[in-house]
Amino acid sequence: MPGPNDFGMVWHLGWNHNMREKQKGSRAAGLPNDDIGPDIRLELYRLQVEIRDCEKRANDLFFQNLIKGTSHLSLGQEGIAAGVAVAMQPGDKSFCTYRGHAHTLARGVPMEKVLGELMLRDNGLMRGKGGSMHLTSVEHGVMGSYAIIGAHLPIACGSAWRAQYLGQTDVSVCFFGDGTTNIGAFHEALNFAAIWKLPVVFICENNLYMEYTPIADVTAVEHPAADRASAYGLERIVIDGNDADIVYRTAQAAFAKARNGDGPSLIECMTYRHSGHSRADPAKYRPEGELEKWLERDPIKIYRERLKEFGISDAQVAAIDAESKRKVDAATEACKASPPAPVELLTTDVYADGGWSWRN
Amino acid sequence: MAELTYRDAVARGIAQEMERDNNVVFLGEDVAKAGGVFKSTVGLYEKFGPLRVRDTPISEQAILGAAMGAAMTGLRPIAEIMFADFAAVCFDYIANEFPKLRYMTNGQLGCPLVVRTGNGGGARFGAQHSQSIENWTMMIPGLKVVAPSSPLDVIGLMAAAVRDDNPVIFHEHKSLYAVKGEVPDGEILDTLGTARILRPGKDATILALALMVPRALAAAETLAAEHGIDCEVIDVRSLVPLDTNTILNSVARTGHLFTVEENPRLCGWGAEIASIVADEAFWDLDGPIVRITTPHIPLPAADHLEDLALPNAPRIVEKISRVMNGSVR
Amino acid sequence: MSADVLMPQLGETVAEGKILAWFKQEGDEVKEGDNLFEIETDKVTMEVQSTVAGRLGEIRVKSGEVAKVGSVVAVIGGAATPGARSEPARSEPAKPAPASAATVAPVSAQTASVNGSGHAAPAKPRSPFEEVSTPVESFGPAKGPSGIRVTPLARRLIAQNGLDTEAIARTVAASGATKIGEKDVRAALAAPRSQPQSQAAPPAPQAIRPAAPGSVVTLNTIRKRTGERLAENWRTIPHVFQAIEVDFTQVEAVRSKRKEKFKSDFGLSLTYLPFIARATCLALRDFPQVNAQLDGGTLVLASEINLGIAVDLSHNGLVVPVVRNADDLTLPGLARAIGRQVDKARTGKLTGDDFSGGTYSISNNGAFGTAFTAAIINAPQVAILSTDAIRLRASVVETPQGAFVAPRLTGMVGQSFDHRAFDGAYSAAFLSRLKAVLEERDWGAEFG
Repeated sequence: MPGPNDFGMVWHLGWNHNMREKQKGSRAAGLPNDDIGPDIRLELYRLQVEIRDCEKRANDLFFQNLIKGTSHLSLGQEGIAAGVAVAMQPGDKSFCTYRGHAHTLARGVPMEKVLGELMLRDNGLMRGKGGSMHLTSVEHGVMGSYAIIGAHLPIACGSAWRAQYLGQTDVSVCFFGDGTTNIGAFHEALNFAAIWKLPVVFICENNLYMEYTPIADVTAVEHPAADRASAYGLERIVIDGNDADIVYRTAQAAFAKARNGDGPSLIECMTYRHSGHSRADPAKYRPEGELEKWLERDPIKIYRERLKEFGISDAQVAAIDAESKRKVDAATEACKASPPAPVELLTTDVYADGGWSWRN
Repeated sequence: MAELTYRDAVARGIAQEMERDNNVVFLGEDVAKAGGVFKSTVGLYEKFGPLRVRDTPISEQAILGAAMGAAMTGLRPIAEIMFADFAAVCFDYIANEFPKLRYMTNGQLGCPLVVRTGNGGGARFGAQHSQSIENWTMMIPGLKVVAPSSPLDVIGLMAAAVRDDNPVIFHEHKSLYAVKGEVPDGEILDTLGTARILRPGKDATILALALMVPRALAAAETLAAEHGIDCEVIDVRSLVPLDTNTILNSVARTGHLFTVEENPRLCGWGAEIASIVADEAFWDLDGPIVRITTPHIPLPAADHLEDLALPNAPRIVEKISRVMNGSVR
Repeated sequence: MSADVLMPQLGETVAEGKILAWFKQEGDEVKEGDNLFEIETDKVTMEVQSTVAGRLGEIRVKSGEVAKVGSVVAVIGGAATPGARSEPARSEPAKPAPASAATVAPVSAQTASVNGSGHAAPAKPRSPFEEVSTPVESFGPAKGPSGIRVTPLARRLIAQNGLDTEAIARTVAASGATKIGEKDVRAALAAPRSQPQSQAAPPAPQAIRPAAPGSVVTLNTIRKRTGERLAENWRTIPHVFQAIEVDFTQVEAVRSKRKEKFKSDFGLSLTYLPFIARATCLALRDFPQVNAQLDGGTLVLASEINLGIAVDLSHNGLVVPVVRNADDLTLPGLARAIGRQVDKARTGKLTGDDFSGGTYSISNNGAFGTAFTAAIINAPQVAILSTDAIRLRASVVETPQGAFVAPRLTGMVGQSFDHRAFDGAYSAAFLSRLKAVLEERDWGAEFG
């Protein structure tokens, strides 16, 4: 069992080798792979930058006491949210976790709606009734963010079952962390999805920590998701989650398989959380130097180099960066100007009649 | 008009709704090819086929999670949790997911599904297969909770539950599956949130649910014949929504309230009703509100011990006549 | 929208009523079923409930005033929204649910019934912070005088009817109970309204030192009025008392065979009283002068047999409700009719009609083991029957084989009669006829 210090290197060799094998044939050695194209690459970059800026702003707003409660940031994990989202089609369904800002933004939900919800204002996605852990925007295909570990894997199965039953072509995508792989619902859902051949794609973001504890300390296998795949007859897939291109390609392949009626996929994306588990966590448990090493493999840094490699100009990149900052500032101002939700909302939508009443 | 068992009424209720609405699907353990461990879903698989009536692995979380995912994206699933006790295995969905979805998403998503489950004791199954868990489900905002006592109510309330846009927990009573009752032909649709006065009376009100309903009715006859106490027996039927009008009006007439509950005593469903009545009907009360429940113990398997534990007609008669002594005549 | 509140017809023989008290003031909100006011006739007092909801506008007939039946005593205006919960009169069980097939009517396939729309919504939206509405009114403490506890319902009824808790408490304490419940208040309510305590107190309290709490019994209004009338009857009517011993063995043979089924069918105990009442009806047909009224110089024979049944209100007064056309009823029918009147008397539900038109009365004291009772005639009736304990006694039985001493169920049936109406021989013949009916009738045939 690798310790926290060398854990990163162990998997690094593993997945890198794997992916080289997988990509063989589609990528000639030494030459840029042009299967993605500039438009999608710019979109992948834009999403990562906007998620990054928005998450950083969320972090800042915490310290201004403008965001209350808790919040779980995806700083460092943007490549996965962006890569999967760009591979999705309109109508596909996202099922997210409490660390779900990135996946919500990646489906095109305006920053103002997300930040407004984090600030518990009336302009938020759910007008402050859900909060940061439950971001939902059905019109964008974001079918909820679930804060009970593992609960949404079976739920995503149900959504996929609906598509299968009604003959619809959408895919249900379920994001979760490495810690989820040790809860029962994970295993029930994988088996269920496999036996019913459901059009669902499970994306495990392995950021090496289940909350505060290294995942390796509490898991019997090296890759908590992928090493369990064979138990459910699924392919073992581990990829570099910090490379949005790889995420994008892998997700595309999984979606095609799902739409083709060939059942579910489980993809383990290796990544790293730049910040603590939540607002309350300074992440002191991380070994010295680990963060620094991962910052070198920062997905946005990687992707800027990628864009350069494919001949995209610095000016284009700078324009995206500037536009992102402008969007975040505008969203922040709009949220600050927004009132809190009216108190009447306290008791709305408990039941389908819109109210709360349990008696006559 | 046909005579039907409670068991067959379950299958008929489900079939009625599946015929009516193609979006109604049904899943659970052993429910399809085997027709259910209680044989309450016999014939559905043959009638509606493997796409609509699905056997699942022993995965209660997957069953309820899948039902929820399907419900929130357009289907109207009916999920079976074989024994109500197993709700504890998948309580996350019952407590955290179904009932919170609409509220947390500010109405963006709903969860129109039915969870059927074999509730209650009397079958000598022991402490983990005999519990009455209606009170577990009653206490969660966002759920609806029903527990029918007759074949007719099974069909009518099943139809109402399937057509309701909220998550409904449908407690079938295992010891009532063999009970027969007259059921009219044609489509049957009842209304959630309605109690029913099964026996009018003027001296005291008895509330009962599921298996306790026939026992309360039997007790009322004895109380009238041998003690001169004329009890009004109300089948509560629906815990959420709760038909407080019927209950409060009855107490206003009788001045006395008794509940007969199969759940263990602490925080049983009657406790909430007692609290409401003590509050709103305080000035109508001519005596203490008395709850007759299973003692606060796990249920034993031994038949004579289980029979001792669950409220029965003699115990109801004894308790009510003792309390009412001196209050009438 | 406003509604007139009328002086109700308390009975067909009643033309006017006196308002004793208003439970609501002008300007009060009134719910359907709320007690509005209490009225009194010389026969009965009763509460009148509102049939509409709204604000009580004008009270036209004040407390203490008399109004003709049908006149407007108040106006309820504003026609507020119907109360969230109507309160039907007590003791009237709700109609049973119609046949289940009707309430769960099959509906057409296109019926969209989502969300249980069937139950009645509250009149106005309930506040989420008042999911349960605590009553705002209060009707006094649970602890009454002398450590007697008072149930909430009893407290409300006492307050709403202006009764005296202490007086009821004394009555309850005297009977050995420790709690005032609905039945105690109903018993007090069955009487006309209580007079102020000072007037009703014993005449010379200074002469008699009460030995203990409860030894001074305040006479309630029922007792006061009954007493006045009885004193007058006793003073003016020349009473003669006769009694005859009756063998109830045949009656008992039928009664013991039928009583269980009777109880389960009707929820009533089959006592000796309906047998005696039935036999009385049959005997009265043969002796019409007993079923009559004395009017000055003439004896008016009654065309109907309307039996008055004396009912003891838990030692708290005596009322004599009437069973009309009693001779038209079979034994079971008579038993049920008597049961209904007794029940109404004990729950304070008697109306003026229930007291009017009696032609003959029965006073039944058998439950307490008495040998015979010389009852006072209930004028203008001319006679009253009294029945006492029926028990096994050693009797001489005559048979063709000779006379034997045998245990027989026997009891005395007595009659007080007005000697101005008829003579002792006529009364004795009536009693003899009554005895023959009781001993020889085929009672089993009465049950059809």
